[in-house]
Amino acid sequence: MTEDDQAADRSGQAPDSFAAAANAETSDTSSRDSAAGNSGTANSVDGLLASVDDDGLAGYNYAYLDEHTKREVRRAVLKAIAIPGHQVPFASRPMPLARGWGTGGIQTSLSLLGPEDTFKVIDQGSDESVNAANIRRLADRTADVETTTDTTDASVIQTRHRIPEEVMTEDQILVLQVPTTDPLRKVDGSDDANRRRHAHKNYSKMWVYLYENVVEWGEIQIGAAYPVLVNDRYLMSPSPVPRWDTPKLDDADTLFLFAAGREARIYAVPPHTDVEPLAFQDRSFQVERFAEACRFCGSRDTYLTEVETDDGDRLFACNDTSFCEKRQDNPEIEKSHHLDRSGVEWGPPPARGGDDA
Amino acid sequence: MGYVAVTAGEEVIKRAEDLFEKRRVEGNDDPVEIDQVANQFGRLTSQAMGEGGLYAPRLAARAVKQAQGETTEAAFLLRAYRSTLERWDYTDPVNPSDMFATRRVSPAYKDVPGGQILGATKDYTQRLLDFGLDDDTSDPTVDWDVDKESPQRLQNVMDVLREDGLVADQPGVDEDEPFDSTREPVLFPAPRSAVLQELARGETGAITALGYSSLRGYGSVHPTLAEVRVGRLPVRIEHPYTGDPVEVTSTEVTETEAVVPVYAKRDDPRFAFGYGLTFGRNERKAIGMSILDASIALGGEEPAEDEEFVLDVIDGIDSFGFIEHLKLPHYVTFQSTLDRIRALRRRAGATDNAEPATAEVSDDD
Repeated sequence: MTEDDQAADRSGQAPDSFAAAANAETSDTSSRDSAAGNSGTANSVDGLLASVDDDGLAGYNYAYLDEHTKREVRRAVLKAIAIPGHQVPFASRPMPLARGWGTGGIQTSLSLLGPEDTFKVIDQGSDESVNAANIRRLADRTADVETTTDTTDASVIQTRHRIPEEVMTEDQILVLQVPTTDPLRKVDGSDDANRRRHAHKNYSKMWVYLYENVVEWGEIQIGAAYPVLVNDRYLMSPSPVPRWDTPKLDDADTLFLFAAGREARIYAVPPHTDVEPLAFQDRSFQVERFAEACRFCGSRDTYLTEVETDDGDRLFACNDTSFCEKRQDNPEIEKSHHLDRSGVEWGPPPARGGDDA
Repeated sequence: MGYVAVTAGEEVIKRAEDLFEKRRVEGNDDPVEIDQVANQFGRLTSQAMGEGGLYAPRLAARAVKQAQGETTEAAFLLRAYRSTLERWDYTDPVNPSDMFATRRVSPAYKDVPGGQILGATKDYTQRLLDFGLDDDTSDPTVDWDVDKESPQRLQNVMDVLREDGLVADQPGVDEDEPFDSTREPVLFPAPRSAVLQELARGETGAITALGYSSLRGYGSVHPTLAEVRVGRLPVRIEHPYTGDPVEVTSTEVTETEAVVPVYAKRDDPRFAFGYGLTFGRNERKAIGMSILDASIALGGEEPAEDEEFVLDVIDGIDSFGFIEHLKLPHYVTFQSTLDRIRALRRRAGATDNAEPATAEVSDDD
């Protein structure tokens, strides 16, 4: 499997230098320069205490996590790739970010990143969100990677709740932050019980839940995090991406990794895997639709969010700010503009005559 | 147009940090020294160490200062730091009766071997604000006339009951290697060593609330405490060359052992048993932990008796993070929710200004 090889290749990247930031802050680097891994930092109590007093990240390993932890995360990733949609437990480490703020994503990203990588972080579609900036800063300080806001330049993208609008390729990995791992949590709070349901592919409670939705409300009321069946086997939460993004998971060129730090689970959708949103024959899966175009770039084929302005106006704007800026420069640019082929399916088909509300 | 794209980035983060740090100095008073925190706010550092799972009083004092007194934040700092440290060795198991106890009370018996030792406590002090506290630096015990006899080991009260065969062993006493919940994910049913670890690192308020829930009637465990101890436990490791156990340091801990008279649940009428241990002085947490340990072992339908429920919600770092993550932007998922609400309302024939639909739209974020 190409994705296996890809991940294995990354796992083999031995870090050969500390982040520049790690050494720049200390005058006493003699004991650390030669050290590979954090064994060097723990050589002396003095070394430990010195690192505590530093306000930089001196004394921390390359990409923050120790090599053992990164290997463990990569093993969980490989297992997740081997069983698409299956939630693999891993020993999530405490990170210097709050749990629920992307700690699973950053552990996964830091385990994959090497000095050759280019890293992009987006939070709710924006590179400039404070939490995205904070995560990017951690990778920048500890893993010595290039960072970018351009989707097409990145080799690894960590994201919260969006899949970029520009078509992702087989050379890229998308790491999605996951707050709630199991879609069955809607029908049963116990992961223990839900693990048994997954083992038996027993998703009847979920189907009943959707059916009751239709009976009570006429349609399915799930907004984001719409449950999907992966490879015709595992029910999976695509993380709280809007339904707009859900079709992008199906038969994609890209490896999608889903990581939950607080819940200590990693799962994956490998390239070219079938991903099917749950729906009924007479109640089809529907994506969000927008009555207007993006006020800034005029797009009608991107996910928009509505904005209430100071003067009481309500307007719609592209959520993927990076792509919106490109469209503002060149309104004709396609989502597949960077590929050597066009007509690539990515995201929902264009809306038909308003039949899906 | 009034709308400005929300851009923030690193400059804004830096400024927010600067404002936070400003709070520390804007009163123009003397900076609090780490030693002052360690020595005068021992309860705070105890709580941070217990919930952080790292016994390091000076680091804990630094964390408390850095967190401006917020214990969960301080525990979080300790945990994040702890996770970067190499694991060198495991200590030898230590028997609680090896503790040098500075306080030991046994509610179960009027008199116990070794006696009741009240030690340092405010349990029986009237809670009156002390307006004379400011300049008081005198040691009220300076004139005490105490013998300089060496401390004696105290027999565990529990051993008295065990010798009579009145206490059932908890499952897991024969576990050779303790589970390490910081290195392996906890799956259910969890080994007891994992349960005890998670409870020992649990958030003090959460342990107290869930333990109290059982006493309050949402559960069947109302224990009698065999004893509550505060003292120092030796830390022993195996000498790398001789193989002999060597005492390298000691840790202050609070420990409690509880018996629970719920013999109706057992074929053999004996006491059930609950155990609580936490770093530093934190008797409330140790007792709450012993209630939850016993509740989980006995099982039942109530929240405190559900192992998965208790362990899922007890961790302060987990709950802290997820509760506070709601402050993060949610406009993508909110837009998706708006779309569903409007679709349901259209289907119900409502207009935008009519009574709001009551459908619960979920997005699980």
